Amino acid sequence: MTLPAYLLFFVGGTVTGTIGALLGLGGGVFLIPFLVFVCGLPMHQAIATSIIAVIATSSAGAAMNIERRTVNIRLGMLLETTTVAGAILGGLTANLLSGETLTRIFAILLLGVSVLMVWRSKQSDGAVTPFDEGLLQASFRDPAADEEVAYSVRRVPAIMGVSLLAGNVSGLLGVGGGIFKVPAMTMIAGVPIKAATATSNFMIGVTAAASAFIYLSYGHVNPFVASATAIGVLAGSFLGIKAAQRIQSIVLAWIFAGVLLLVSLRMFIF
Amino acid sequence: MERDRHTLKEHLPDRPVERWTGLTLRIGVWCSAGFMAAGLLLASRTPSGETGDAFPRSPEGVLSLLTSGGGIPVSMMYAGVLLLMLTPFVRVLAAMLGFLIEKDTKFVTVSLLVFTMLAGELVFTFR
Repeated sequence: MTLPAYLLFFVGGTVTGTIGALLGLGGGVFLIPFLVFVCGLPMHQAIATSIIAVIATSSAGAAMNIERRTVNIRLGMLLETTTVAGAILGGLTANLLSGETLTRIFAILLLGVSVLMVWRSKQSDGAVTPFDEGLLQASFRDPAADEEVAYSVRRVPAIMGVSLLAGNVSGLLGVGGGIFKVPAMTMIAGVPIKAATATSNFMIGVTAAASAFIYLSYGHVNPFVASATAIGVLAGSFLGIKAAQRIQSIVLAWIFAGVLLLVSLRMFIF
Repeated sequence: MERDRHTLKEHLPDRPVERWTGLTLRIGVWCSAGFMAAGLLLASRTPSGETGDAFPRSPEGVLSLLTSGGGIPVSMMYAGVLLLMLTPFVRVLAAMLGFLIEKDTKFVTVSLLVFTMLAGELVFTFR
């Protein structure tokens, strides 16, 4: 592999990592189309690379969020019991399907994600469950509101079900699954949006790791591509976190929903 | 208000879990990124850095590549990728240790369940 090729993967990783961090996503929905259409990677290798990148962004982001105490570790660990099961199932299924079938399924996912992104930007975050009315109580300091936010979690079995689905999609298609978990945690369980995003980010590393070894066992992990992309995504996610404080994320959500819709259509006629 | 905050903190003795998991993630990310970056740097300076299309399909295959001199740049990148893939596994163990220190047996069991699933999947995949 040549130096320009490393740079292409690095730059692609940086751009998708930045966009992912700006929108509170793992970045897989942007990274996989880039790897398939721009870099010409086979679908399975693109998914494997995305999974490695998701582990990198999740681990780096979670370390920061734990320090800020926005991660509800107990909620994350509980949801991991179903999300890991889903991811293992998804990883095994993906390697039984052809690249073309996976591309079609991914196109459907992109379509769904673009609709969800627009829908989420129009919704309020849902009522926060008071500290003494639910389970898995936690609190964190919100610097924007300059207050301590205390909350608890309700309807835990329902969000465990959503986590199973999110894990399955993650293992099958190499995305983080936060697009499903964050709305479920805020709207169904009454978790504040900052805690939901941080807890989802904390979980997706384990979800991705559950299927990563399945992809490794099928020989889909290319060390050159995975390394250059993962470092790029890491750099991008740091840039995105900084930029997020200055940019209107609702406007971005609409723009990238449009982009995903176009990519989805492109994948359908692939 | 101040009294309320103290009451909340008494309900939330999360410190050991937070400390152990945060530290594990930080070390895992920086070490793996270091290995991957060093591997890429060396590969970009080596004309014969190409590995072809065949990649190891098991941790043993990767280990044998690492030990057999199958190319230092590739070995370093693989070491970084493997380290990154193992970081969440170690993070689950670190959380379990934290819960153990806090004597939270319910969540020690939950962590153990997650780790068992992950370890079981590894054994099943490479059996």
